[in-house]
Amino acid sequence: MRLEKSGPNVVLLSLTLVALAAWLGLDTVSVAANRIVPGTGYRVDEVIGAGGALATALPWLALAGFAWRPARRHLLLALVLVVLMLSALPAWLALSAVTLVDAPQARLGIGAGIWGVLFLLLLALIELRTRLVLSRLLGWALLLPPLASAALCLARWLEPLALWQEYRGRSGQFLGAVGEHLLLVGVAVGASLVLGVGLALAMRRWPGVQKAGFGMLNFLQTIPSIALFGLLLAPLAWLSANVDWLSALGVSGIGWAPALLALVGYSLLPMVRNTFVALEAVNPGVIDAARGMGMSRGQVFRQVRLPLALPVILEGIRITTVQAIGLTAVAALIGAGGLGTFIFQGLGQAAMDLVLLGALPILLLALLVDALLGALTDILRPGGAE
Amino acid sequence: MIDLIHVTKRFGDAVAVDDISLSVARGELCVLVGTSGCGKSTTLRMINRLIEHSEGEIHIDDQQIRAFREETLRRRMGYAIQSTGLFPHWTVARNIGLVPRLLKWPKAKVQARVEELMALLGLAMEAFAGKYPHQLSGGQAQRVGVARALAADPDILLMDEPFGALDPITRQSLQDELRELQSRLHKTIVFVTHDMDEALRLADHLVVMHQGRIVQQGRPLALLREPADGFVESLLGGEDRGLKEAALLPVSQRMLPLGPRLLARERIGQHASLREALSVMLWRHAERLTVVDDDDLPVGELSLRRLVGVRSDE
Ligand SMILES: Nc1ncnc2c1ncn2[C@@H]1O[C@H](COP(=O)(O)OP(=O)(O)O)[C@@H](O)[C@H]1O
Ligand SMILES: [Mg+2]
Repeated sequence: MRLEKSGPNVVLLSLTLVALAAWLGLDTVSVAANRIVPGTGYRVDEVIGAGGALATALPWLALAGFAWRPARRHLLLALVLVVLMLSALPAWLALSAVTLVDAPQARLGIGAGIWGVLFLLLLALIELRTRLVLSRLLGWALLLPPLASAALCLARWLEPLALWQEYRGRSGQFLGAVGEHLLLVGVAVGASLVLGVGLALAMRRWPGVQKAGFGMLNFLQTIPSIALFGLLLAPLAWLSANVDWLSALGVSGIGWAPALLALVGYSLLPMVRNTFVALEAVNPGVIDAARGMGMSRGQVFRQVRLPLALPVILEGIRITTVQAIGLTAVAALIGAGGLGTFIFQGLGQAAMDLVLLGALPILLLALLVDALLGALTDILRPGGAE
Repeated sequence: MIDLIHVTKRFGDAVAVDDISLSVARGELCVLVGTSGCGKSTTLRMINRLIEHSEGEIHIDDQQIRAFREETLRRRMGYAIQSTGLFPHWTVARNIGLVPRLLKWPKAKVQARVEELMALLGLAMEAFAGKYPHQLSGGQAQRVGVARALAADPDILLMDEPFGALDPITRQSLQDELRELQSRLHKTIVFVTHDMDEALRLADHLVVMHQGRIVQQGRPLALLREPADGFVESLLGGEDRGLKEAALLPVSQRMLPLGPRLLARERIGQHASLREALSVMLWRHAERLTVVDDDDLPVGELSLRRLVGVRSDE
């Protein structure tokens, strides 16, 4: 392996060097006397001294070394190192908590350095997973050690962590909010899937519907979400005041009803567009042969057109779902509930850790859904065709 | 077997096929040939009702095609097209078994039929049955397309430029295979092409179309000898007609029995065409060839004068 000819892995190398700079140059943690006052930031050397800080640079330099000579064996070592460093991040927080926090009201905040390093290390993980051609499943399994380390540190040493404090103050509420969020997204995506597929089928049959439909959906998409909630407020309030069974259902100008309507409205365009394009794009020669062989219209649709279109339709569902997860956060503004509630509460109280408590799970949910539906699309692409 | 009687097809105001009448006898291979856009595909697709004709009548076995359900009609006819139209999400074996499954044959019978057809078209079962269409070469894919068209053993085969996208060598070997298959299976075939060499090589009955009309039809040799007009003549190759005709005639038709003279050094098989014989003469600078049978035994001789059709030889 001495005679490895390929040049340095530039991606991994730059990720490593930028991450090292962030690690040593930015505050890794901050400590505040209580929830309200702004905290003081601490760089690595301010926590463990200049000598210790230099020592922490060593694994980074090793990583850079592996990136410089990216033989397969080196990349495997780099992978192990990246996973270890990810697992060490919670331990660093624990160490900081133990050394820096003395008062019971004091809180430990996660600094820009840790966030930056976390982000860059995850990118490095993706790069290594691609280079080493590891399976999707193994890629996910690599996250288990860091997660285990985080869980252990939270349980033992991270009592003062601000994010943890915010969570412990509302753990019941938190689970409820996740549930509401998922319910809103699920119902909105489900409804727009049913409506969207129906609309796409109608558009394929009647060209008139196609023009009008796309025109309307495109227009809908250009209205900012807050404005759309506002626009829905008056008519829904009127409906709930005048139609008894609607108000009995809980429909009103604010709350889940306008949120759901708006979410479905925004979700329709990507859903319809992908479904329509997917169904249209099936090779006409294949359809011609299918009909020429004596398949009925229904058989052509179910056995040929739909299965061939399915990966692109799933892609539409994926885009729609990820978009809806983000939009649902905004829906908290009109009292629809969900994780957005924490974000807006946090903004109101200038408590950034509360904002994070809402924003982080939204980010994670979006990533998770993206990965799951992406994997499903791959599985459904039969024979790896096209 | 197939009769088109004064059939016309209009798309809006445009007339794509204009009052054509055509009969294809059972077991005959009928080729529709003409420049692109002359209405060949439209004619073919009217026979299996992928396109409905506007006027006239089309009969299969003396029954109007409109008397059948569309699907029933199509399942009786094989259909092969230039783009193959193989289903990309199905394996080769599943593609071939399509029509038998539509006809609800029992599973074991479908499986047996698929194996039989793959053998017939030279597709090794182990190598190809589980492959997907995108893993095949153009020639292999087209073989699968033909196997699929033959699957339910239909009497009628409709083929729309099936070899049009292949390289010349693959195309020629598939043409030879089709002729060979046809000599065993005796299907009634309507074959569309714009390639006159292909048409002449395959046709029992040749139909020349131009601007939606049939300008001439008959046996290929008859058309070569007496083209109806300048268009047919130019389509048949103008000055090249002599070579095209020679390509249709076997050496055995012009050879003489072995005479008292020494055998000529250059040899030619008795099933070769006169065109091939002429080529050998040109290439070898030989005026006489010894004609040999399949076992390479001399059976006659062919002189240049005989080849070009001069009656007496001395
Ligand atoms: N579905 C259709 N709608 C309108 N015009 C068509 C349609 N199909 C074929 N045509 C027209 O009919 C004529 C004959 O087409 P076609 O039969 O495909 O020609 P060929 O197969 O001989 O190349 C062409 O002018 C073509 O544009
Ligand atoms: Mg055509």
